[in-house]
Amino acid sequence: MNALNALNAFLFIGLPYAAMLIFVIGLALRYRNRGFTITSLSSEFLEGRALFWGVVPFHFGLLVILTGHFLAFLLPSATLAWNSEPLRLIILEVSAFTFGVSVLVGLLALMVRRVVNPRVRAVTTPMDVVVELLLLAQVILGCWIALGYRWGSSWFAADLSPYLWSLLKLSPQTDAVYALPWVIKLHIVGAFLLVLLVPFSRLAHIFVAPLHYFARPYQQVIWNWDRKRIRDPSRGWRKARP
Amino acid sequence: MRKTVLETGSLVAPTWLLVVGLVVSVHASSARAETGAEIFKTRCAPCHTIGGGRLVGPDLKGVSERRDEAWIIHFVQSPATAIEAGDATAVALSKEFAPTVMPDQPLTKAEIVSVLDYIRSGGEGSAAPEPEPEASPAEIARGEALFQGKVRLENGGPACNSCHDVKHADVIGGGVLARELTTVFSRLGGSGVRAILGSPPFPVMQQAYLGRPLTKDEVTSLVGFLRSADEHHALRQPRDYGPKLAISGVIGAAILFILYALLWRKRRKKSVNQAIYDRQIASSN
Repeated sequence: MNALNALNAFLFIGLPYAAMLIFVIGLALRYRNRGFTITSLSSEFLEGRALFWGVVPFHFGLLVILTGHFLAFLLPSATLAWNSEPLRLIILEVSAFTFGVSVLVGLLALMVRRVVNPRVRAVTTPMDVVVELLLLAQVILGCWIALGYRWGSSWFAADLSPYLWSLLKLSPQTDAVYALPWVIKLHIVGAFLLVLLVPFSRLAHIFVAPLHYFARPYQQVIWNWDRKRIRDPSRGWRKARP
Repeated sequence: MRKTVLETGSLVAPTWLLVVGLVVSVHASSARAETGAEIFKTRCAPCHTIGGGRLVGPDLKGVSERRDEAWIIHFVQSPATAIEAGDATAVALSKEFAPTVMPDQPLTKAEIVSVLDYIRSGGEGSAAPEPEPEASPAEIARGEALFQGKVRLENGGPACNSCHDVKHADVIGGGVLARELTTVFSRLGGSGVRAILGSPPFPVMQQAYLGRPLTKDEVTSLVGFLRSADEHHALRQPRDYGPKLAISGVIGAAILFILYALLWRKRRKKSVNQAIYDRQIASSN
């Protein structure tokens, strides 16, 4: 076996299994021993204006993109059936790229904010920088693939979904992945590196997303007096609240 | 208190797991066991025969007598490398069969030797394919619909345009992961195209149609369509998107940003303690 084959086998068989194992064990240990650290440590308290233009486009874009990848992995036949009408294929690809651009712009805004704002810089850890740089590489590669190797939704369903399933079934089928261009291979490797880093970084906050906020009742804040009228200087002080 | 991997910050466990992963991967990748006959049928037969004459590539009958075994192994694993290195035989072959260059074959030395044994034994079922029947206009139209997925392939495989493009006014711009197919008919001939569609020698295409092969009728229609696309391509405008996809994405993202601003128009624009922070900074100066 030559060196390139060994490298391919490590990147597309060894690394994925190591990443998944470290992910499961590491996350379980962190949750058990240091459960309160499973958070992304909000910095909205420190800076709010620039945060909005980074965090919202980044997260909403990423939610759509990750859901897309996940659906093509879970339902490859349905994805191919959807793409069988050329118009639907183009709508899917353009929308996906749109959200990709949203992620890219959001991430760049967050990175600029982290560098420029001294308050945010003060709470930055080295791991935050590692994660952000890796995410940036991943997003740039993803956008590059969307344009440079187009109709990714179709070939993902045809080639990468079977590869990922073969990993889960413990009998890796990697010939197709080995033959893909390096841009796509790097995107796959980046994805497994991110999975590997989840237990050691702020990425773990994916698993404490406040989904119950969607279902819980509104928080009722009840004032027993009219806040505006009580502060109105044209009105004198009164004993009774208005 | 117990120390965990995370608390000590140690990377010993992950490193060990990576080593285990490497060992597992090396074993897994060498665990294939296909016979020479199987390998020949899936990887070689689309382009080569054993005594059936020249196809896309040369007839392989007696190849072991013509060439040194070490040379064959080196060439089969990466023909492009041999050609680039200036190997005289490889360069001569690439000229003779231009413009088609044989793709790299991810086979081990033992696997190639088993294929050579199979070829030496005479190889059953590797005769030259029958001559190409002419496709009817209806079949060509069906081939066009199959190519871009408007008619689904019977066994559920992906449409050709997922990875391939062809210059044709009625077909949307196809994928660019694999080769452009406008002139594939001139390059490989009907039997070559038919052979590749019947039994793809390229790993990515092989995986895409694994367990969902093209039917004989579909192959005939697609070969007819590709032949017609090749013959008429000089008269046709390609449906090329150029930068349109990128521009649509950027416009889409701009619309998204307007939506974000509208949805969160009532958001708090400053952090809650901005005034306290500003006062602190001002008084400390």
